[in-house]
Amino acid sequence: MAAPEFSTAGLWRGARDAVPLGFSILAYGLGFGLVASQALIPLVQAMAMSVAVFSGSAQLAAINLIGSAHFTITALVATILVINARYLLFGAALRPWLGQTTPLRAYGSLLLLGDANWIMVMRAIDRGEADRAYLLGSGLPLMVGWLVGTCVGVVSGGALPDPQALGLDMMLPCFAAAMMAAMVKRPANLVPVAVGGGAALIGAPLVGAGWAVILAGISGAAVAAALWRPARA
Amino acid sequence: MPDTLPAFTVLLAVMAATALFCRWAGFAIMRFIPATPRIEAALRATPLAVMAGIAALAAQSGGLAEGIALAGVIALAHLIGNDVIAALCGVAIVAALRWWGAG
Repeated sequence: MAAPEFSTAGLWRGARDAVPLGFSILAYGLGFGLVASQALIPLVQAMAMSVAVFSGSAQLAAINLIGSAHFTITALVATILVINARYLLFGAALRPWLGQTTPLRAYGSLLLLGDANWIMVMRAIDRGEADRAYLLGSGLPLMVGWLVGTCVGVVSGGALPDPQALGLDMMLPCFAAAMMAAMVKRPANLVPVAVGGGAALIGAPLVGAGWAVILAGISGAAVAAALWRPARA
Repeated sequence: MPDTLPAFTVLLAVMAATALFCRWAGFAIMRFIPATPRIEAALRATPLAVMAGIAALAAQSGGLAEGIALAGVIALAHLIGNDVIAALCGVAIVAALRWWGAG
C-alpha cells in the first residue's frame, strides 16, 4: 500500500484553516505571558516554556507549582500528566488516519497537537481530508499565535485590551459546537453527542472541567463500542 | 520559592518530556491494539463526544450570551453549511452580547 500524501499543499491547507484558531491561542498566550511576568520569569524562559511545553493550562499550573513551597520534580511531572492526559485520547483517536503515514511524519506532526487543531483535524478527516500534512499545518498558526502571545504578554505586563471582550475565550467552544454540528449526519451520531455532553455536565462538579472533557470522550467511546453491531450483509 | 529549586534547564526538560509523552503515548499505544470495527467505532465517536463535552461545559459555565452564541453556532452550521463561518459568527455573537450587556 502506498503511503498517503504528505504534501506542501496539505500543510498550507491545514495552516490556512487554523488561522482563526491562531488568534484565539494568541489571546491565551497573552494570559500566560502576563502570569509569567508577574511570577518574575524572564522572557527567554517564558518563551522556552511555550516552545517546549506548548500547552497553556499545563504551563500555568507549572508556574504555580514552581513558585510554591510544595514543589518537587515528581509533583511537576504529575501536574503536567494530569492536565495533558486528554492528549492521550486525542492521539489514540488520530491513530487510524495518522498511523498510515511514516512514523517520522506522524510523531513530528504530533509535536504541534493542541485542543483546537485536534478538533479541526478530526472534522477534516470526517470530511475526507487525505493529506497527512494537514495536522502539522494546522499546528503552525497555533504555535505562532502562542509564541507571539507569550512574548507580548510578558513584555506588555498587562497594558492590553481584554481578550474576553472580543469573545476570544469562546473561540474553542464555538469551533467545537460548529464542527460537532457538521459531523452529525445521521441520528445515530447524536448518541456520542448526548453521552459526551451529559458526561461532561455530570462530571464537571465532581472531577473539574479538565477531567470532565476526558470523561466525555471516554464515555462516548465506550458507549459506541458497546452499541456497535456488525452490519448485516 | 523553595531554596533548592533545580536549574531552569532541568525544569524545562522535565516539563517538555512530560508534555511530549502525553502527545505521543496515546498514538503509540494504539499501534498495539487491534483495529477491530468495534474499536474503530469507539475512536470515531470520541471527537463528537469531546466536542459535545467542551460545548456543554462552556454553555453551563457561561451565561445567557454564551448559551445564545452556542445555540446560534449549531443552527448556523446547519443553515449555511459552513462550520468555520458558523464558529466565527458565534464568537462575534458573544462579543456583541457582552458589549451590549456591559454598555
